Amino acid sequence: MIYLDNAATTKPCALAFERAKEYVTEKFYNPSAMYKEGFAMQSELKKARSVLLSKIADESAFELIFTSCGTESDNQAIFSFAKRGNAVTTAGEHSAVSAPFAELKNRGICEPRIAPLEKDGRVNVQKLLDLIDEKTSFVSVMHVNNEMGAINDINQIAKLVKQKNPRVIFHSDGVQAYGKIPFRLAKEVDLYSVSAHKIGGLKGVGALIKRKSLVLPAYMIGGGQESGRRSGTENTFGIMQFAFAAENKFQTLKADYERLIEYRETLWNGLDQSIFTRISTQDGTPYILTVSAVGLRGEILLHMANDAGLIIGTGSACSSNAKSRYSKIALACGYDEKTADGVLRISFSQATQKEEILKAIEILNGVAFDLKKRMK
Amino acid sequence: MKRVIIIRYGELFLKGKNRGFFEGKFEANLQNALKDVAHKFVKQSGRYLIENFAEEETEFIVEKLKKVFGLHTLSVAYETSSDLESIFEAAKLLLKPSGTFKVESHRGDKRYPLTSPEISRKIGGMILDYSKGSLSVDVHNPSFSIRVDIRENGKALVFGEFIEGANGMPVGTAGKGLLLLSGGIDSPVAGHMMAKRGMIVECLHFHSYPYTNMQAKEKVVDLAKILSEYTVGTTLYTVSVTHIQEAIHEKCKPELMITLLRRFMYRIAERHSLHIGAQCIITGESLGQVASQTIEGVTSSNSVVEKLPVLRPLIGFDKNEIIDRSVKMGAYETSILPFEDCCTVFLPDFPATRPKMKDILFEEGKLDVEALIEEAFASIEKIEI
Repeated sequence: MIYLDNAATTKPCALAFERAKEYVTEKFYNPSAMYKEGFAMQSELKKARSVLLSKIADESAFELIFTSCGTESDNQAIFSFAKRGNAVTTAGEHSAVSAPFAELKNRGICEPRIAPLEKDGRVNVQKLLDLIDEKTSFVSVMHVNNEMGAINDINQIAKLVKQKNPRVIFHSDGVQAYGKIPFRLAKEVDLYSVSAHKIGGLKGVGALIKRKSLVLPAYMIGGGQESGRRSGTENTFGIMQFAFAAENKFQTLKADYERLIEYRETLWNGLDQSIFTRISTQDGTPYILTVSAVGLRGEILLHMANDAGLIIGTGSACSSNAKSRYSKIALACGYDEKTADGVLRISFSQATQKEEILKAIEILNGVAFDLKKRMK
Repeated sequence: MKRVIIIRYGELFLKGKNRGFFEGKFEANLQNALKDVAHKFVKQSGRYLIENFAEEETEFIVEKLKKVFGLHTLSVAYETSSDLESIFEAAKLLLKPSGTFKVESHRGDKRYPLTSPEISRKIGGMILDYSKGSLSVDVHNPSFSIRVDIRENGKALVFGEFIEGANGMPVGTAGKGLLLLSGGIDSPVAGHMMAKRGMIVECLHFHSYPYTNMQAKEKVVDLAKILSEYTVGTTLYTVSVTHIQEAIHEKCKPELMITLLRRFMYRIAERHSLHIGAQCIITGESLGQVASQTIEGVTSSNSVVEKLPVLRPLIGFDKNEIIDRSVKMGAYETSILPFEDCCTVFLPDFPATRPKMKDILFEEGKLDVEALIEEAFASIEKIEI
């Protein structure tokens, strides 16, 4: 089975898993305990924290809080800081951001404002800025769009946002960017969400990176872990495995980036372009190629490809249960329903092989041709 | 003093010489419902007692028993010694803080020194003294009752209310039917209704993978599981109608897609029924609810079934009545999950509501019906629920 749905989740890094094993078999102690063995765990977590943070941020200016997933990180950023006036985000956000924004309105906390997208999936920066006024308390702009692959220049956007209103707290969902896109956080970015399982870590581990001087209210109250802001006994195994996987991933980040651009283009060039239309652009992340088999239903192609030995995605895996099957993001980018209905997301990882790309081309062309014939 | 549960059954009494058969099925179904909890099952004349269970399991047991067809009422009771003091101690646990009450007594043991009215009067008096005026007696319309049952083993059962059971007949006493189970609201209710009359219900589901998804099928498995609590387990069979839909799409008039597809489904259902020994087909059709459930639509699909009756227990129900029953049986929340269970890719914009038999036969004549059915059968999967 060829797995090209790595934006949904990646296969956990085996090397990191091996290295982290001892945190299950030997070093199982509670990091909050007073004895040596427990205290030793604290130092290990500190190291992991440093590894994960230093790859994308200045450790003297930022800190990292472990969470259970990207969704938790996003939720906490939003509900901690979008508290008054209005909050601005984009039409391209993952539901981990868009749903809490809708909830801001439901709970009567503040007014959500949604900035439209460009055709390629990036936010329209001018329109985003137009939505920001003196009453804006919070802005969230995703780094890499999980469906379109588009990359927002969040450092630049954060700067522009703060020029317009310096009191705004700026957040970015970096789940599809962390460990994949060469990047270092600018000081204008206050909060940044990441997730382990998109780069070879495990599900159930995430982090919220924040500017040190920003006061994050405690949101899970209890034993006082994570400096009191996120209580709960640490997932030591998951955290250590995340750090080891990140070490591994960041080592090959540049090489992966170059290689996957080539793979992505090979895949696109191999697809039958009388059937498939390209949705994601060349400027987007090399990890995602989004196409549409216009007039066919993406989900059916997904099933047929699955049976032929290829796993791909349609939209975001987290939104595939939604009543409306159309890619919400593709619609937001201005594509019609027919195009949005045919969206397929093919996403890669550092482990993706060239032969898999070639085989995927063959399968995708085959099933699309087959379905087109059957639907005639 | 210990807790016991009294089970009373209803219609079984009517069955004369077959009573042993009915009771046997009923007992087996009761035992099956309580298979996850330690207990002792005691048979008495005309009723059963559940004894020796952990007190914290009481509610769990009651909920499980409420799903067993054939059960008329049940009561949670205290078993005590049959002396008045002990009976009064048990009765105290059943009192409400205020209101009116009465005591009803029954002597299974006629050697007991007091008559039933005497027992009621004595216990009633003790309660009145104990309540210091907060309770009063009303023998005609009391706000609650205390019931005392003197048994022959020197014990008494003391209980308050009668809890309504599922009624109906024990599953397994009225043959076997094959339910056409979709992912919707109606078909689980239809299965529930036939099980209530004692029928063993097995399920058949049609899917059109890859045009429909895995969640849709999983939802049907979930519905079958909900239904199985009433049907004493069930088996779910799934059959792919993908190629049938494709063939109809390719060769026939689009407005007859559903009409023709349903004829295939009924043919497959009848054949499968005969194969598994089911004596009828059960559907959730309700007259006029959708385009295919007009009398013309029903006639069209009914006419391909040659040997078996098709039972449609919901045929005269309004949607709201069906929804009420679905909620009651606990299927509604699952039924309304938004997965498409029938492929919408091939659905016509305007399905025929009054298909003419002449047109149907003409269009169907373009298809190799037998080969398509054979092919569909090759895809059958069996899932034990």
